[in-house]
Amino acid sequence: MSRRGALPAVLRAALESTPGTCYRHCDRPVRLRTVASSLPGTWHVRACPSGVVSVTSYAEWTRRDPVDSVRRTLRRWTVPRSLVRSWDLRTATRHGPELGRRAEASLARVRPARGVRVVYWRVYPFRAKDGTERRLFVCFRRAHPGPVFFAASPSSKRSECPVCAQRVRRPRGA
Amino acid sequence: MPLSVRKGRLLAKRLGVPFRTLDIDRPAEERAADRLVRGHGDDAPDYLIPQVFLEWSDGAVQHLLTGFSEKVARTSDAWDALLASEWLRSVVREGSR
Repeated sequence: MSRRGALPAVLRAALESTPGTCYRHCDRPVRLRTVASSLPGTWHVRACPSGVVSVTSYAEWTRRDPVDSVRRTLRRWTVPRSLVRSWDLRTATRHGPELGRRAEASLARVRPARGVRVVYWRVYPFRAKDGTERRLFVCFRRAHPGPVFFAASPSSKRSECPVCAQRVRRPRGA
Repeated sequence: MPLSVRKGRLLAKRLGVPFRTLDIDRPAEERAADRLVRGHGDDAPDYLIPQVFLEWSDGAVQHLLTGFSEKVARTSDAWDALLASEWLRSVVREGSR
């Protein structure tokens, strides 16, 4: 028995795609990471080995609009929270016929009909107030309860994660 | 020719209906696209494109496909699946009766 809104295996498989390479940053292969949260759907973060994020997606099998809960969850994971802007959240409904035979048949059997809602979070490179370029990074170190998203210079490394930096700076015994 | 224009024409030909595009870089067409997406599609402040709709003879509008943000090749796969779908076969079958 799965949680309401969770994607059955046939739909998870139908939504998968090969991640490709890091665009306009390093051209290295992008890795796909699955992330757990309190939401019932499936999170995927696509990022290169340096941690530069191509796109983060959340997919849920539902009739409701999951954008608000996706925004709240992303803000919990992001430093600063203001980096998560409504402008960068885009939704897509997957009905079945565009997902291949097995997914189409699976979705066609469900009454009343419900599709898969996917919310994408894509932050394009932007300029900071000092004019320098910023990209969205992610850090997956085990010390975090979840991923940590942050903005940094394209030449940065994951080691600039603000949550990891706080841990390092904390006085011993504090 | 853009992927979704090429595949969209193919879909329209299979259905025997005219194919219409709305270019969001043209203000009048953008307004029409905004209305369509707001009423029937995947709306957002900066919504995904392409979005594909089918208008039925009774005026009903059906959202068929929204582009995949992952990469263009994934949207191409989705178009191929749609063109090979049981849904399309059944609509064509019904239309030819």
